[in-house]
Amino acid sequence: MLLELSEEHKEHLAFLPQVDSAVVAEFGRIAVEFLRRGANPKIYEGAARKLNVSSDTVQHGVEGLTYLLTESSKLMLYLDNRKEIRTILSELAPSLPSYHNLEWRLDVQLASRSLRQQIKPAVTIKLHLNQNGDHNTKVLQTDPATLLHLVQQLEQALEEMKTNHCRRVVRNIK
Amino acid sequence: MELSESVQKGFQMLADPRSFDSNAFTLLLRAAFQSLLDAQADEAVLDLKHIDPVVLKHCHAAAATYILEAGKHRADKSTLSTYLEDCKFDRERIELFCTEYQNNKNSLEILLGSIGRSLPHITDVSWRLEYQIKTNQLHRMYRPAYLVTLSVQNTDSPSYPEISFSCSMEQLQDLVGKLKDASKSLERATQL
Repeated sequence: MLLELSEEHKEHLAFLPQVDSAVVAEFGRIAVEFLRRGANPKIYEGAARKLNVSSDTVQHGVEGLTYLLTESSKLMLYLDNRKEIRTILSELAPSLPSYHNLEWRLDVQLASRSLRQQIKPAVTIKLHLNQNGDHNTKVLQTDPATLLHLVQQLEQALEEMKTNHCRRVVRNIK
Repeated sequence: MELSESVQKGFQMLADPRSFDSNAFTLLLRAAFQSLLDAQADEAVLDLKHIDPVVLKHCHAAAATYILEAGKHRADKSTLSTYLEDCKFDRERIELFCTEYQNNKNSLEILLGSIGRSLPHITDVSWRLEYQIKTNQLHRMYRPAYLVTLSVQNTDSPSYPEISFSCSMEQLQDLVGKLKDASKSLERATQL
């Protein structure tokens, strides 16, 4: 989305590059005042005399700048939010809970009602998931052998991204 | 180990060669172990038909109860011998009992260890790598994503046999990194 200015508008702003920056700054200030409090003909007259131009020129200049400011801020708003808007839209697609975080703890079971004197290691895991903005946690457990199996399997999953096949797909489908 | 009078009486009957001859004793002993550890334990029953079923039932129950208690407390041979002596077992029967107990000790402990409540237990993981192209909300997407499914076993009920979630490559790296930390920590702990 580009900022489109009409010919008339461009004319109104045409003199700005020809004056020095202090003048432009003054115009900017007046434009903001205009936004806040509306037109003030006296200020235009004063500026017109100082610059040796007609007060119409000043007025158009101010109005042109004001329009430019408002349009720019609208664009800025869109640009600032574009990333977020796209993220939200992408999340609106049919989705599953997504991974957020994982906490773990090592435990050793020493005894139970049915068996005393045990040494049974286990890994307790708290899996944090997000779904539609809701934060969900699941507490799970696994044994050392399964933990190693999980690591091995998921490392293979990560390796898959590096294969030629996947690289080709990612490269060519855009 | 706290054992009831009923158990003691049952053992006293088992000790008596007039109620149980050598063969019957061995059969009942094996049947007791099998009924706890193995689903099919009917073979012995036929050869014990000559014994009063009430007595049979009482003694079988006594033996099974004692075996479980001994297993639970990890009783050693001397503990077993002492109790059996008190029940008037002769040397031969004590030896038989202890041998049979020793043979079945591991299976017994596995069985007892598996009883009880625990957190849902992860048994397996499966994953899928996909490349998302488009959705009806957003015109073009183009991003790879993983779908991970954990198979979970629950002691209570099959309430949630699977947990699935999606993640990006970075998130999966985070997940794997943390699991690897846990596994290294486990390795270090076992070396202490």
